[in-house]
Amino acid sequence: MRRLNPSLVVGGVIVGLIVLMALVSFVWTPYDATLVTPASRLLRPSWSHWFGTDKFGRDVLSQIMVGSRTTLFVGVVAVGVAAVIGVPLGILSAMVRRWPSEFIMRANDLLLAFPALLLAIMFGAVFGASTLTAMIAIGIASVPSFARVIRSGALQVMRTEYVLAARAAGRQPWPIAVRHVLPNVTSLITVQASVSFAIAVLAEAALSFLGYGTPPPTPSWGRMLQESQEFLFSAPRLAIFPGVAIAIAVLGFNLLGDGLRDRFDPKLEDRR
Amino acid sequence: MKSSFSIRAVALVAVAAVLGLTACSAGSSTSSGSSPAGEQKLTIGLVAEPASLDFTTTDGAAIPQALLGNVYETLVKQDDSGKMVPSLAKSWTVSPDRKTYTFDLVDKAKFTNGKPFTASDAVFSINRVKTAWTTSLKAAMDVVASAKALSPTQLQVTLAKPSNDWLFRMTTRIGAMFSESGVSALATDPVGTGPYRFSKWNRGDSIVMDRNDAYWGTKPFFQEITLKYFKDPTALNNALLTGTINVISTVQAPEALSQFTSNDKYQVIEGTTNGEVLLSFNNSRPFFKDLRTRQAIRMAIDHKALLDTCWAGRGKLIGSMVPPTDPWYEDLTGIAPFDLAKAKSMLQASGAAGKTLRLRLPTLPYATSCGQVVKSQLEQAGLKVVIDQLEFPAAWLTTVFKNADYDMSIIAHVEPRDLGAVFNPKYYTRYDDPTLQGYLAAADAGDGAAQIDNMKKAARRLSEQAAGDWLFLLPNLMVADKDIKGLPTNAITENFDLSELSR
Amino acid sequence: MILRLIERTGVFLASLAVSSVLVFAFMVVLPGDPARVALGVNASDEAVAELRRQFGLDRPLATQYFDWLGGLLHGDLGTSYISKVAIGSQVFDRLQVTLWLVIAGMIIALVVAVPAGTLMAARHRHVSGLALSAVSQLGVAVPAFLAGILLIVVFAVKLGWLPANGWTPPAQDPQMFLKQLILPALALGLVQGAVLTRYVRSAVLDVLREDYLRTARAKGLRPFQALWRHGLRNAAAPVVTVLGLQLATLLIGAVVVERVFVIPGLGSLLLDGVSNRDLLLVQDVVMVLVIAVLLVNYIVDLMYVALDPRLRTGAR
Repeated sequence: MRRLNPSLVVGGVIVGLIVLMALVSFVWTPYDATLVTPASRLLRPSWSHWFGTDKFGRDVLSQIMVGSRTTLFVGVVAVGVAAVIGVPLGILSAMVRRWPSEFIMRANDLLLAFPALLLAIMFGAVFGASTLTAMIAIGIASVPSFARVIRSGALQVMRTEYVLAARAAGRQPWPIAVRHVLPNVTSLITVQASVSFAIAVLAEAALSFLGYGTPPPTPSWGRMLQESQEFLFSAPRLAIFPGVAIAIAVLGFNLLGDGLRDRFDPKLEDRR
Repeated sequence: MKSSFSIRAVALVAVAAVLGLTACSAGSSTSSGSSPAGEQKLTIGLVAEPASLDFTTTDGAAIPQALLGNVYETLVKQDDSGKMVPSLAKSWTVSPDRKTYTFDLVDKAKFTNGKPFTASDAVFSINRVKTAWTTSLKAAMDVVASAKALSPTQLQVTLAKPSNDWLFRMTTRIGAMFSESGVSALATDPVGTGPYRFSKWNRGDSIVMDRNDAYWGTKPFFQEITLKYFKDPTALNNALLTGTINVISTVQAPEALSQFTSNDKYQVIEGTTNGEVLLSFNNSRPFFKDLRTRQAIRMAIDHKALLDTCWAGRGKLIGSMVPPTDPWYEDLTGIAPFDLAKAKSMLQASGAAGKTLRLRLPTLPYATSCGQVVKSQLEQAGLKVVIDQLEFPAAWLTTVFKNADYDMSIIAHVEPRDLGAVFNPKYYTRYDDPTLQGYLAAADAGDGAAQIDNMKKAARRLSEQAAGDWLFLLPNLMVADKDIKGLPTNAITENFDLSELSR
Repeated sequence: MILRLIERTGVFLASLAVSSVLVFAFMVVLPGDPARVALGVNASDEAVAELRRQFGLDRPLATQYFDWLGGLLHGDLGTSYISKVAIGSQVFDRLQVTLWLVIAGMIIALVVAVPAGTLMAARHRHVSGLALSAVSQLGVAVPAFLAGILLIVVFAVKLGWLPANGWTPPAQDPQMFLKQLILPALALGLVQGAVLTRYVRSAVLDVLREDYLRTARAKGLRPFQALWRHGLRNAAAPVVTVLGLQLATLLIGAVVVERVFVIPGLGSLLLDGVSNRDLLLVQDVVMVLVIAVLLVNYIVDLMYVALDPRLRTGAR
């Protein structure tokens, strides 16, 4: 009987809540997140505005809710891009012979020299700063970790008696890949997806802080942090809400990833 | 057990050492600006670092801000109230046909390369604008027909036609006096006659200037001045709070002023500038052809609320492209008052209601901030507004400025007396108005009274024609240590005058 | 083993070559004309064309690429289009600054991660281990710039113990240099430390489970002795690899931290270069960063070969 471990539970709950918040925001938010209302500037948290308002009079809670959409969107697309490119790459490099495999992994490592932030700044400068360029850049930068992890997982599968027998029997590589390797690396993919998601959230926050992320007035947690800098003394709550939101989101995905890793890794079973 | 213990022990010792170091020196001053030896030193925080030290070939306000008046001097300069006063020229006379100017120059001025300043240097500098300068501002010297040195201390300049503007422009960067033998390394080694000498440039960080002890005029108070450049407005504020700098030359995060106004260690200065924050219309686009549309956009914006919301209420509301310090200033804010209902109906009448506009903003704090308010207000009047952010300077200059590929944009025009330069068919505003050109020509050619009268008409024309909208005039917001004296209230010149400062 | 060394070196050099092509190609695609930015706002088209000619921007791309590459190999990084100052000296100055920051950050990260991670692994079933784990999770979740902002607010503004920002070269004023280094290094190091802790923990845990460790304990070694003698050395390999990978993140993470603390490092040089369209500068800085990362990975590869006996024989 597989036990649920605390990381998985806590992580799952947090991620679930964020997804719920994002979905709800499509249908309802307490106020319009982008409407400028000078009359209600910089209000403290109260019953009418749970998190208060910002310098434009916009409700902070509504902004956090809509901002979660951006965060999730960036994460999903970035991880999607990374997985779509990285997983086949990893499987391929595990299945081909030595030299092509080395070549793929070296090319992969090359990509590691271009970290997410650098790529995103460059993309933003070329194509204009936007959520899309940020997502694609972060996604491309996350390919190497996917490829590496999937490759080592695939290599392990390749060594199982199962597969060795299949190869000895003369089966073609591709059916082996699909039938045996892929199902056995899905757990790895899930774990890596979770970890990469957390990295994507952090990267988006940093980019928005630098000015290369989502342009205004679309709410974005990173940009909210940047806008709050002016008010560090008069209204530090403006930094705390988006800061905590970012930290919780990253925490949630990390915990989820850890929990999934613990759950899927058989060797740890008897230790837990 | 031993090893992890020892690793941790090492760590603890290291941390303790560092904390000890900090604690020991926490007692002594944590600042570099107010140390005892720093009585004669001053550090000023600024926001836009120059790209080079050569303003003859590189554009931008940052270079003359640092060098003009401090390292380089002009023949004449502007005082705080906008009057023309002598500098390297002791006095001057104008011929009756207003085409010939004769300047009497000071005789004791010397360049930092040891050579004396004479009229032939002045001739050299004036001619050089036409031959060696590549920035657009050089056009202001085109009206000069010839410059002659009548004697080592007498300069005669003859214009092709009378121009009121020319003498004014001589107070700006094109009037800077260079040494005939001192222009070989302008980008890194400026040679001038001014009260300060360029000492060092730590790129990305600061420019250091030393007092010129061989200066011909009154020697300034501070022996060494460091201009420190900050990209981040909050870091700039924090630097003053922790004593790293003594003066914030321009507050870019006005909301944070409250931490200074309530603290009597600091003085806060609020004055005016030449920086009109313009919401520009691309007048060549069909959308803006109808006067009613343009006026409606102006009237849909509640300027007072906008200023309060996006710039903490600091700044002055203006109705045209003229700041209060210009001689022909009039309060024209009544021409397009805030009236949402009227704006809506005008947009309906002109057929613009419901259409989408692209507001392309440069990545500057006031533009990002105020752009969001503009969008919100225009959408309440029935328009749809999409915001784009273009990196400043590169992307904005190419897309909006050069290619005029925009519907609306927001940028502050900080050059003095730039009404004519900004609103003409060749500039990105693409504003083609023969009546306006007529007023401007008459203002330049006429006498003092005619100039004022025609410029007033030009400003009024711009406002009535809604060639653009003037969101507000950037305030001159400075914060400094209480004991610093001589800071200007209004920032109306291209240069930041360091020689007036003292403690 | 020699064969592997040669192989790794060859790969390293090939990676350098390919990256240079990638970087160059990227710069070509970048929109915005450096000549126009340099001349500014109202420059005439002839002046812009002339400046482009001076910069060599009108030559065929291949020529520009090989000229640039040749310059790089000689250590000549060219002259900036915008500031007309030699790029090489700028990069050299800024690189020193960033290196101080990155190395200080890495030291802090290691100092935090190694003991904490080991402890967490050793006590992974006790409350203390779980508590440490929770703290490290939180550390990972906080972005470095947020940590930086909080540190400034607490230590610089409220308490006044340390300067809020700025940079002094160590030769000029060692005391000020150290004081200004602490907060940004902490901002970088604590966050990286939290990330590293988790890798250390999992590497040590892996080792704890290995059979040879059980054998050692069966032989009578106490748990921590066994851990040290057999465990950590084997845990070192993956941790060292991760450290190398982390360097790339640290170098770039320094960019944001440099912005918050106003440190004139390579990161801010890069950002300035991008916004000024100082093409050659950006090209050179990106190349320097890429070379640094590739070099570290290369060294890590070599160390990996040295550390893992199983790899020495070339078996897979």
